[in-house]
Amino acid sequence: MGQKIDDLDRNIIKLLSGNARLSNRKIAAQLGFTEGTIRERVKRLEKDNFIRFTAVTSMEHQPRTQLAYIGVYAEQKKIQAVASEIANIPDIGAVIILLGRFDIMAIGLFDGLENFQKVVNQSILSIDGVRRIETSAVSEIIKYDNKVAKIITPLEDFTLEYR
Amino acid sequence: MTDKKIKFSELDNLIVEILKKDGRATNQRIASSLDISTSLVASRIRRMEQNGLMRLVTVADFSAFDYNVLLPVGVDVKGKPANEVANDIAALDEVASVQLVTGKHDIEILVTLPNLAAMGDFMLNKLSKIDGVLSLDPAFAVDIIKYEFDVAPV
Repeated sequence: MGQKIDDLDRNIIKLLSGNARLSNRKIAAQLGFTEGTIRERVKRLEKDNFIRFTAVTSMEHQPRTQLAYIGVYAEQKKIQAVASEIANIPDIGAVIILLGRFDIMAIGLFDGLENFQKVVNQSILSIDGVRRIETSAVSEIIKYDNKVAKIITPLEDFTLEYR
Repeated sequence: MTDKKIKFSELDNLIVEILKKDGRATNQRIASSLDISTSLVASRIRRMEQNGLMRLVTVADFSAFDYNVLLPVGVDVKGKPANEVANDIAALDEVASVQLVTGKHDIEILVTLPNLAAMGDFMLNKLSKIDGVLSLDPAFAVDIIKYEFDVAPV
């Protein structure tokens, strides 16, 4: 990253956010630029990890529907190692190293509370360096912005090979 | 709108698999890689979108919106139902997500701010002022190791 984005980039992102398939031609017409300019900008935004075009599938239609938080207290020197191990667990969708509250916050989508406890007890508590954990289960999602996230996976690993 | 009874078919899953990797893949491209007709692809995508199973979106990195400081905050509530407080918190632009939780806290939120200088004002003058907010348990995100965004409320 490290790259800067300008107002045109932001306006392109705004138009695309609700509809990934909006054509470069339509964006160009709306913003008063050429299609070529828009195409270049979109390509750069993707390459610099500012945006990803994707299909977001509904959480409620998954076989796993229980969203839950796991706060992990780890031995200071092992925080990063513990975080990477937790990130390898398929049920876990997000792993964030924190200052304050606890050392690592993990968020996952589980096949029921029972399965959640199983992952916590069998897969997380057994990781070397984990001292203590605190869990909380989501009972209702009030707000969730599915158009903003942390983009970590490089484009070449994300995109289909034919591109 | 969202019908929980409607499920993904096997063909839907194949189409979604492609679209997750490339949300801008054309129907024609999807059709030829799955060896089905373009009109079938179009109708499956339309059905999934109309039934709230899937949306084709552009996900932007927090930094694209100049959100450089991320704060997961646990909120405790008193004197007011947690869902009412949660809805008031959700109305704040700086808050990206709000969930009712069972555990140590009542509400779990994610706050996104441009910089540390914005933090004091937001925490003290906006979040703390919401009726029913008893206490805040904030933390700084210093490193994000994993962040999947392809499964979410649609």
